[in-house]
Amino acid sequence: MFENKPTTSNENNLLVVENLSVTVRNSREKLIRNLNFSIPQGEIFGLVGESGSGKSLTATVILGMLSKSLEVTSGSVIFGQSEITSLSEKELRNIRGRDIAYLSQNYQSFFTPFIKVGKQFIEIIRCHTDMSRKEAKKVAIHWLNKVHLPAERVFNSFPDELSGGQLQRASIASAIMFQPKLIIADEPTTALDVLTGERILDLLSELKEELNCSILLISHDLKHIINRTQTVGVMYGGQIVEIGKTSAIVANPIHPYTNLLLQSRLRLNKHIQHELTAMLGEPGLIAEEGCPFSKRCPSVMESCSNIVPMSSLGTDHSAACHLVNAEREERYVTR
Amino acid sequence: MNIQMPRINQIPFFFKNQNLLIQCGIIFFMIIILITLIGPFIVPNDPFTANMSERLAPPSSVYPFGTDHLGRCIFSRLIVGAQSTLGITALVVVTVALIGIPIGLLIGYIGGRLDTVFMRLADGILALPEFILAIAIAGFLGPSLMNLMISIVFVKWIAYTRVVRSIVITERNKDYVLAAKVGGSSSWKIIRRHMFPQIVSPVLVLATLDIGKVILTISSLSYLGLGAQPPAPEWGAMLNDGRPYFQSAPELMIYPGLAIFFVVLAFNLMGEGLRDKWDVKSR
Amino acid sequence: MITIIKNRVTQLVVVLFILSLFTFTLMKLAPGDPVLTILNADEMVVTEEDQAELRNKLGFDQPLYVQYGKWMFNLMQLDLGKSYMSGKPVIEELLTRIPITAELTFFAMTIMLCITVPLGVWSAKYVNKWPDQLSRILALIGASIPNFWLGLILIYLFAFKLGVLPSSGIGSYSQIILPAFTLGFTFAVVYARLLRAGLLQSLSEDYIYAARARGVKEWRILWLHAFRAAVLPVLTIFGLSLGSFLGGAVVVEILFSWPGLGSLAVDAIFNRDYPVIQGYVLLTGVFVVLTNLLVDLSYYVIDPRMKRKEEAL
Ligand SMILES: Nc1ncnc2c1ncn2[C@@H]1O[C@H](COP(=O)(O)OP(=O)(O)OP(=O)(O)O)[C@@H](O)[C@H]1O
Ligand code: SF4
Ligand SMILES: [Mg+2]
Repeated sequence: MFENKPTTSNENNLLVVENLSVTVRNSREKLIRNLNFSIPQGEIFGLVGESGSGKSLTATVILGMLSKSLEVTSGSVIFGQSEITSLSEKELRNIRGRDIAYLSQNYQSFFTPFIKVGKQFIEIIRCHTDMSRKEAKKVAIHWLNKVHLPAERVFNSFPDELSGGQLQRASIASAIMFQPKLIIADEPTTALDVLTGERILDLLSELKEELNCSILLISHDLKHIINRTQTVGVMYGGQIVEIGKTSAIVANPIHPYTNLLLQSRLRLNKHIQHELTAMLGEPGLIAEEGCPFSKRCPSVMESCSNIVPMSSLGTDHSAACHLVNAEREERYVTR
Repeated sequence: MNIQMPRINQIPFFFKNQNLLIQCGIIFFMIIILITLIGPFIVPNDPFTANMSERLAPPSSVYPFGTDHLGRCIFSRLIVGAQSTLGITALVVVTVALIGIPIGLLIGYIGGRLDTVFMRLADGILALPEFILAIAIAGFLGPSLMNLMISIVFVKWIAYTRVVRSIVITERNKDYVLAAKVGGSSSWKIIRRHMFPQIVSPVLVLATLDIGKVILTISSLSYLGLGAQPPAPEWGAMLNDGRPYFQSAPELMIYPGLAIFFVVLAFNLMGEGLRDKWDVKSR
Repeated sequence: MITIIKNRVTQLVVVLFILSLFTFTLMKLAPGDPVLTILNADEMVVTEEDQAELRNKLGFDQPLYVQYGKWMFNLMQLDLGKSYMSGKPVIEELLTRIPITAELTFFAMTIMLCITVPLGVWSAKYVNKWPDQLSRILALIGASIPNFWLGLILIYLFAFKLGVLPSSGIGSYSQIILPAFTLGFTFAVVYARLLRAGLLQSLSEDYIYAARARGVKEWRILWLHAFRAAVLPVLTIFGLSLGSFLGGAVVVEILFSWPGLGSLAVDAIFNRDYPVIQGYVLLTGVFVVLTNLLVDLSYYVIDPRMKRKEEAL
């Protein structure tokens, strides 16, 4: 399932991203390289990585909203039965907000500032159905109640009259109105305080159960989402460097970058324990060739300047790092 | 926007290089300066001699653009007019800069109450449209080129003062200026060494773009008869002279207008080019 | 909201004060003796007594500040004196001319909007493609062409050569087209660039991305979500350049023989009819300041955030 070779479309998978690459148009600059992951029906998939690693860009591609200055140079994004990258703008628009919902990292700029929240709810509803304004309002109020908001008041407010938590709840309400199959939550808690953030994640998990949808949960903080996700992909420099069942990754992180993300909390991999503590991580330092992490990696070796393929470590865990082989050998030896 | 737009429309080649704008502007500008300087010595005819027997003559080898209602050579008048139009404009812009910049430096550097008073005053004066002020001054003091120039200067200096003031205020609190102060540099030295280089490019852009505007204002008011008075070969005044005849002799108005247009265009091109190059924010 | 109105009203008062002082001073500086002008001394024999009597009657023998006070007092009652030329009260002269200029300005602005909005939107939509380049060239032309010359060319083409539109006069709609276009065009193309810049800015906002991600239609995004924020800077500049607009109106009125305020002012200048000039200058000044006040207030309608921000203060 996490092999680098194209996954055969699993019946159970809602979203399958295969070998996806995105480059800046008319240039060689690759922003996303050969991305492979899939999200099974009803699961929360976590995408983790530091700022600029390409998480939001991946979300943009899934939404079919890539800016004109960028282009998909290879791969496919299959959502349900459709291939997103080949849909027309109109078809995409019908999917967006209806089958795929989006929650943004910056709640303050989720709703357009000078239009009342209620009006924007009605706008979404009427873009996807032909309800009357009145019916639409009923629907909106229903969903605002659902996320435990004072519905009428929120409905009649301008976005900046609401608190951050309220806004994020309202944006969740707007996202789930059509009971989407996939919710893309791009760092939904970054701008909130810890407690409010936790409550938002609780709410999302709750709603996921109720609607039986999948969630693509994007975060820069791996520790923050390990309890929420079933599967996690760790991104670095536009590549997924480690992917697998959350439990497996937490139990045995292979990639030095994953280790870095888990550093303070988890048992370190024996091989790199010493070096890692001394490592000077300079975020954003991405190697052009070979392993993108090689410029920061404490265990870097000669072969790291060649392209490092994904190799699996059991059925539900794989990483793009030479240490995988060492790990395998070790397992073999200990066994 | 994410909609895929048809890609038939590539950027025309001559716009690929943004600096081409400056280059065009500069080439125009050089030609204009050349004409202004040597023009009066190469004109085929005396721009002031009336010759009623040749009035409204069509273009010929003697009169390249024909003659006006008094039989004067339009071409010669245009060439000589460049000198008066550009000379007046340059004088106005330089005066404006000489008034505006020092005041801006002073106000920005001293700040405090002086600054407040200035801002109020500036708001007040700017509420009076430049053009209306020119009309007021021309109206009360009588229509003349001098009065026109006074009224333009009266309004324009404020823009320069504002720009300089805001730069000085932002720079004043920067570390290097504080360091220079602590290091014992005199105010004058700080202004000269640290502030002046900062204001050169915005002011130059402002001035270049203003030259175009001033030319337009002067020629418009001269066209109304409120600026240059006959028989001065100022371009706006020439247009005014030719007004009654332009149905029968359109060259009377076409050439002076084109002259104004190209000169202003040259300065606008140059101003925009400089603005892009130095990345000066327009107000 | 309240503070901004307060600020604006203060500004209004300051401006009016400066303006009144300005016109009063200029009037006093003006060459020629108004008493002689009124008595038509060029054509008639005027005795010393007559002069003194009128001087006394007009209060010209009193100190300047008293004269200014009286003048101000009259001004408050909209008494601007009488036109030397026609002998009618200045306010009456102005009032009869206002509708004519208003009509011209209204149509010019309509034409302006009809050019600015589509051109601005179009060039924002096709950034750096040929519509954008076209609007850029048009803006350069608009900023460089003397508008009276544009008017002359239009008259020459449409009135003399093609004969489809009248070259001057007022009354019918066909007579409005040329002057209104002449006045509106140069402003329109320049504002289109501003609108384009504003749109590019607001289309790149996160909330536009979010709206798109909700499946909102592209035209709604443009006109309902992006346009509003983009209009604000254009409005500000428009308020600031309204003066130039009125200035342009003077030229256009003369060019197309429209008997509006501008023509009145220019006539007055040539006839040294100071009270009329003064009335014109005051009226325009007030109008410009009032419009700027309106522009400020319109911000609150367009972007309600501002209102609340201020109330919170
Ligand atoms: N339209 C674009 N043109 C060029 N580069 C782009 C464009 N959009 C994104 N990028 C680049 O793609 C990279 C990935 O950006 P992305 O927004 O996906 O990062 P991210 O992982 O979401 O980071 P963050 O945690 O800050 O949200 C960045 O280096 C960014 O500069
Ligand atoms: S592939 Fe090499 S450089 Fe990259 S993370 Fe693994 S050991 Fe480090
Ligand atoms: Mg992001």
